[in-house]
Amino acid sequence: MLQTIIPLLVDALANAALIFFVAVGLTLVFSVLRILNVAHGSLYSIGAYVAASVGLWIVAAGLPEWLTFPALLLSAAFVALLFGPLIEKTLVRWTYDKSEAVQVLVTFGLFLILEDLQRMVFGVQSVYQDTPMSLLGISQIGGIVYLNYQLLLIALAIVVLIALKVFIAYSRTGKLLAAVVADREVSQAMGIDTGKMFVIAFTIGVFLAALGGALATPTSGVSPGLGAETMVLAFAVAAVGGLGQVEGAALASIIVAMAKVLAIYFAPALDAVAPYLVMLVVLIVRPYGLFGSGATRRI
Amino acid sequence: MQHFRLKALAVAATALTTLATSAMAQDKPESLDIGVFTFLSGPAAAYGMPGRQGAEIMIEQINADGGIGGVPVSATFVDEAQGAEGVISEYRRLAEGEADFMIAALSSGNCLALAPIADQLQMPTVGWNCDTHQLFKESHDYFYRPNGNTIAEFMAYTLYFLDENPDVKRVAIINPDYSFGHDAAEIVKATLKAVKPETEVVAELFPKLGSSSYQTEISRLAAARPDVIFSNLWGGDLENFIRQAQPRGIFAQSKTVLALGETVLQRSNLPEGVIVGVLGDGWWRSPDAEQIGQAGEFAATYNAKFGEDPVFPAVKMANAFLVMKAAYEKALETTGGTWPTHEQVAGALEGLSIETLTGEMSFREDNDGIVDQIVGTTTMVEGIDYPVLGNMVRYDGAALLPPLGEDPLGWIGTLSPSIFDELPDPGSYK
Repeated sequence: MLQTIIPLLVDALANAALIFFVAVGLTLVFSVLRILNVAHGSLYSIGAYVAASVGLWIVAAGLPEWLTFPALLLSAAFVALLFGPLIEKTLVRWTYDKSEAVQVLVTFGLFLILEDLQRMVFGVQSVYQDTPMSLLGISQIGGIVYLNYQLLLIALAIVVLIALKVFIAYSRTGKLLAAVVADREVSQAMGIDTGKMFVIAFTIGVFLAALGGALATPTSGVSPGLGAETMVLAFAVAAVGGLGQVEGAALASIIVAMAKVLAIYFAPALDAVAPYLVMLVVLIVRPYGLFGSGATRRI
Repeated sequence: MQHFRLKALAVAATALTTLATSAMAQDKPESLDIGVFTFLSGPAAAYGMPGRQGAEIMIEQINADGGIGGVPVSATFVDEAQGAEGVISEYRRLAEGEADFMIAALSSGNCLALAPIADQLQMPTVGWNCDTHQLFKESHDYFYRPNGNTIAEFMAYTLYFLDENPDVKRVAIINPDYSFGHDAAEIVKATLKAVKPETEVVAELFPKLGSSSYQTEISRLAAARPDVIFSNLWGGDLENFIRQAQPRGIFAQSKTVLALGETVLQRSNLPEGVIVGVLGDGWWRSPDAEQIGQAGEFAATYNAKFGEDPVFPAVKMANAFLVMKAAYEKALETTGGTWPTHEQVAGALEGLSIETLTGEMSFREDNDGIVDQIVGTTTMVEGIDYPVLGNMVRYDGAALLPPLGEDPLGWIGTLSPSIFDELPDPGSYK
């Protein structure tokens, strides 16, 4: 029995870790900016492309292979600093006083532009960079070989979850963000530079998406269309957890990943729809998601 | 009288116009315009781009030799990644414009969609890669497929791995989640049931086409502990699967059959001992290809231009060009040198039989092609820095096709273990 349950749990947590990075970024941006960023998935795939390209360059240049680890983090930071302020200060800021439909259409347009941009810059062939995975080796759990890199991802997701909670609860910027989330107008009246908070929140969101993409590269190929695939799953997670809820995103990532893993093990025909069936059930029972509420707003 | 004169004038004008039109139809065009459909983007481009590159080489070669009937070939490439709706609309646009011939398509879904349109627009078309056995359920006058179909292909793999591993008891399948993957799974299961009924399918997985991660599927395969894993993943999906499965010991744990494995031998670090094939006979290093002699030249030109050896989609595309060329030459012979109409070219394809770069191809009465099936096992040989096919077998294509009009899966059900007595053994093709 344990032989069956342990692989299920490890697979679910490894899957959940990757989904979590993207979903928590999406939910953070929504809670502060009140915008559903459809282009979030593209930033995930850009993070993946940049990390893979940098990793390939490190290996080709004959530099020490362990440098591919910091390269994952630095690639995500680079994408966030380049695209975060740029997108927020141009397109996204323009939509704050527009209807939700306009906001979704604008970010969807941005998604299409970014997808084409990736094709132009990185080409259409799949890119692979698995050095970090190879360096960490393998482990046997429940009689099944797992990559140690998969286990590292689980640990990193926990670190990011804790870091986010600590940042919001104890840092000055985090507290200001929480204030903007609680009441944007009052925060403004109290002298908080909401525009600056929006840039910070959006850039953190982009960083988390790009980090998810970068961390995924050692165990999967990067090719056009990755952004859309990830985005749909991140929406499902955000909806299950409740839009704007960090803990909700964490728990929902595990639930959605577990649904997918259970389907692959016991009902492969339902593999593709399992996450959305879970989403449907949760939304029927709790329309605002597991942690969401129609009345209160928090992060 | 006036009325009679007008009538005579009208008749003369009509006759002249008809003559002129007829003369125009027989004039040689400035170029032979063809539409070539393949995947040029997305994960499937890993498989589709070699097809395009093979087409480029063939066009250069044909034009350098003076074209077809003295007419140079000019191609418009269409990306199948845009989806069936876009592919159909591009096909119509080209067919209603300048195109004279179509080499379409890579995807079975697209071939199924285009075949009736080819008939409707009377556009001679060869499906250069698609292999669904559903294609000729309805007859088509203008659509031909110069390849074997899924029945022959996946029976060949199953028979090979059973012949090589007679003690197989547990089989797992991981195929893409669309008709190609599901059809192949049905054919493998039907063949197992007919010739080795005691085998059990312990896992049947159909990941989404274009999936970036197969880690959970790999865990499932590891947990199922099959003796043999069968897969017809392809393109970027196959590369992804191999890169993720190998470090987790899948190829060491179970004998693996990668139906389209030859396409990734140069790009992925596939170990020795994996059963791979070429969905037909399109391996440029095969003994028959070496004997025919032109495949080596094609491969050398390809390598010089694109920096790697051609894989079987490139060879399949090249063979499709040879079929087109042969059809035009046959039609020109029939017309006595005047340029053939679309109807005459389609007529020339009927029952055509040619020597391709890699073997013999002939069309059956239903326009489906008969080609042999080569299956082998990855092995390293001196002088080549990536694994190639060893321990090969070359099955007669006709022997693995159901008789015309017979239900394919029903026909497989009539087979018995004695089929192995009639087939060549693995390792017999040298």
